Amino acid sequence: MIDLDKLRNTAAETVSRDDVKHLVGWKKGTFGYRVAPCVIENAEEAESLVFSPLCAANLATYITLPEKLPVPKGEQPDDRKTALMVKGCDSRAVVQMLVEQGIDRDQVVIIGCSCQGVVDLQKVEEKFPEPLDTVEAEWKEDKIVFKLPDGEEEVARDEVLADNCLICRYPNPVIADVSLGSEVEPAKDGEDSSVKEIEDLSLDDRWEFWEKEFSNCIRCYSCRNVCPMCYCDDCVMDRLNPAWIYRSVNYSENTVFNLSRAFHLVGRCVDCGECERVCPMGLPLGKLNRKLAREVREKYEYEPGLDPEEKPFQASYRPDDQEDFIL
Amino acid sequence: MSEKILNKDKWSDFVSNVASSKQVWTMTGDDTVTFTPCAEAEEAPGKVLNATVPPKNVVFPQTETLFRFMFGQLEAELPEEAQEAVVLGLRPCDARAMNIVDDLFSWDEEDTYYQDKRQKTTLVGLACNEPGINCFCTSLEGSPASTEGLDVIMADLGEKYYLQAITDKGDKLLADVSGQLEDASDNDKKAFQELAEAAEGKIKRGIDASGIPEGLPNLWEHELWQKVSEACLGCGACTYLCPTCHCFDIQDELEGFKGRRCRMWDSCMYGEYTLHASGHNPRPTRRERTRNRINHKYNYYVEKFDKIACVGCGRCINQCPVNIDILNILSKVKEAL
Amino acid sequence: MSDKFEPNIVAFLCNWCSYAGADLAGTSRIQYPYNIKVIRVMCTGRVNPLYILNALQQGADGVLVSGCHPGDCHYMEGNMFARRRLGLMKDLMEFVGVDPRRFQMSWVSASEPNKWKEVVEKLVEETRELGPFEQFQRNMINW
Repeated sequence: MIDLDKLRNTAAETVSRDDVKHLVGWKKGTFGYRVAPCVIENAEEAESLVFSPLCAANLATYITLPEKLPVPKGEQPDDRKTALMVKGCDSRAVVQMLVEQGIDRDQVVIIGCSCQGVVDLQKVEEKFPEPLDTVEAEWKEDKIVFKLPDGEEEVARDEVLADNCLICRYPNPVIADVSLGSEVEPAKDGEDSSVKEIEDLSLDDRWEFWEKEFSNCIRCYSCRNVCPMCYCDDCVMDRLNPAWIYRSVNYSENTVFNLSRAFHLVGRCVDCGECERVCPMGLPLGKLNRKLAREVREKYEYEPGLDPEEKPFQASYRPDDQEDFIL
Repeated sequence: MSEKILNKDKWSDFVSNVASSKQVWTMTGDDTVTFTPCAEAEEAPGKVLNATVPPKNVVFPQTETLFRFMFGQLEAELPEEAQEAVVLGLRPCDARAMNIVDDLFSWDEEDTYYQDKRQKTTLVGLACNEPGINCFCTSLEGSPASTEGLDVIMADLGEKYYLQAITDKGDKLLADVSGQLEDASDNDKKAFQELAEAAEGKIKRGIDASGIPEGLPNLWEHELWQKVSEACLGCGACTYLCPTCHCFDIQDELEGFKGRRCRMWDSCMYGEYTLHASGHNPRPTRRERTRNRINHKYNYYVEKFDKIACVGCGRCINQCPVNIDILNILSKVKEAL
Repeated sequence: MSDKFEPNIVAFLCNWCSYAGADLAGTSRIQYPYNIKVIRVMCTGRVNPLYILNALQQGADGVLVSGCHPGDCHYMEGNMFARRRLGLMKDLMEFVGVDPRRFQMSWVSASEPNKWKEVVEKLVEETRELGPFEQFQRNMINW
């Protein structure tokens, strides 16, 4: 549970510091169950911040998202810090960025919020269709309470939580300058059973499943843009010279795009669930990422986003790494 | 113009009948609904409010071959001519959107790829009985039962559909597939009109768009653009799902000694959209790109074609992962004016 | 000429060990199947895992990446990185339904021409059994 007043006061204090440029947090959306990321620059705006089971957005993307324009001659670049509100998974994204040296530790001020899981809007809408007026929600032990226009409704947490939150092993931020909220117990079972379901299928059945999914992809790149770990200025999938994939949309290019993205996230994905949430076509991207995360955990005993001093997974090796697949 | 009734239990026969001479596109899919060509349909439409991806795919496919070529041959091969197609069950906003985009594809030069498909497509729309929470077609000269752009309009009267032909093309379609149709009575027409009025009243959101096209040029350097674009991820979902968005990229693709030039949807919200070969980008940040998108729809398009390039379908509001709400932006614009 | 399907196999060979080993097989007149199309890279650590997907997309029926034995890499540790990355690429492809026999890795040193022959023969036979790769091959889709 988070004390909203304490959160807003902490935010107001942080954003009033001289060395902090702005603070990225969540505020109430414009309708229904939506919550929007917002950038606040003074203490008054901190009153609009919220933290609830609806805050699904991963704000770690916003550290690397602002474009760096050339600074006019004579001016100094604005290198004040960015303050950030993070949940457990978001804090791992920040740590992973530190591991890769994509950002400096003194570039961010981290306000960590212990999280009991965010809801999957599709699951919520099956029970309570999205109203026009904004809805507030809060965690209440093992239930989630929605303050709908017609009255309050309680629902068991397990019925509406996002798939990746049901198996969350790091609900408390792993790095923070300020920690808010009481500590939350991680999920008892940190494995995704839907990954096992696919592994139980034959190769042909698996391809049938994935071909259908990849045919639906419209290559809008929402998954890539929302991912905190996809912060390359020049994405390899956009390059035309050489063209790794063509820009045309068909199952062949879509397959290579999605597999390439999943591969680039090996040992880096922190399972925040954003890619799956934002996909307009409902592709089960979480399955791909969680499968690889499990392989990395089991075969190489590595978990991304925990220790900022570690070396990145794909740039390290152990002499006794498995090689049973090598002839 | 003829007015007919189709009982819902005859829907799949009706679709098969139409499909025997033309390609039929309807909404399909369980979790994510899109318009796809299908030879037979089981369920009658009306349950789902609207497809995630608009039916602009029918006349403006996401990927379209412009011509094929082979090394050593002097002549390029043009793609086959379009088939006759019928889109069954699209909503009036999507049809109005096609009308709006038509102007662009016949501006300066006729875009023959688009026009060929457009002329061979018949649009059978389904009026909305229950608008969505983010629909605002009435603010933009549309309505849940608007007939603009449609050849036939259908209305869900419970156990049956009421069909009314709007254009000659629609009349011809109803005459060709009259097997399952019966004549409509005056009561049916009245029921349709009542439903249409009721639906208009159910639209909750909107904006008074007067003054926006004229006022936008004065707001070029306003601070509101920074505020409304700060959460934008530049992901492109809003443009791909928008029925009036029509930007495309042209690429050459090679496979061995054969190749093709094709065009595919592009999005002005991507960083590389305006990236020059020199490295300069006239729209370097999301602020400029968001400003451009609103200006294109509510200012530039009005200047050129006298129509606002937005039909109020609400898809961008529903799908934006970070709740960037065009109605919110427009109300800020109105405040600033 | 038989009507048997002849697979197209793309091989990324590291310059110092596997390429030299394959070369030695050639100069020793050891006959090995000609389905293999060799691309010489300086080290397997340089092989971008996306090459595997790209090769399959462009018409290869199988891909081989072959390098120095661990500990013998000319650049010390390149093959160690390759082992990690390419192992996971194989897992990913298998998860999506691509037969793992289509992408194989081997350690072939400069003095192992017979091993080279065995690796190639094994790969060609397995790929021949699997048939042409049609899962996400570019094939003028919707042209």
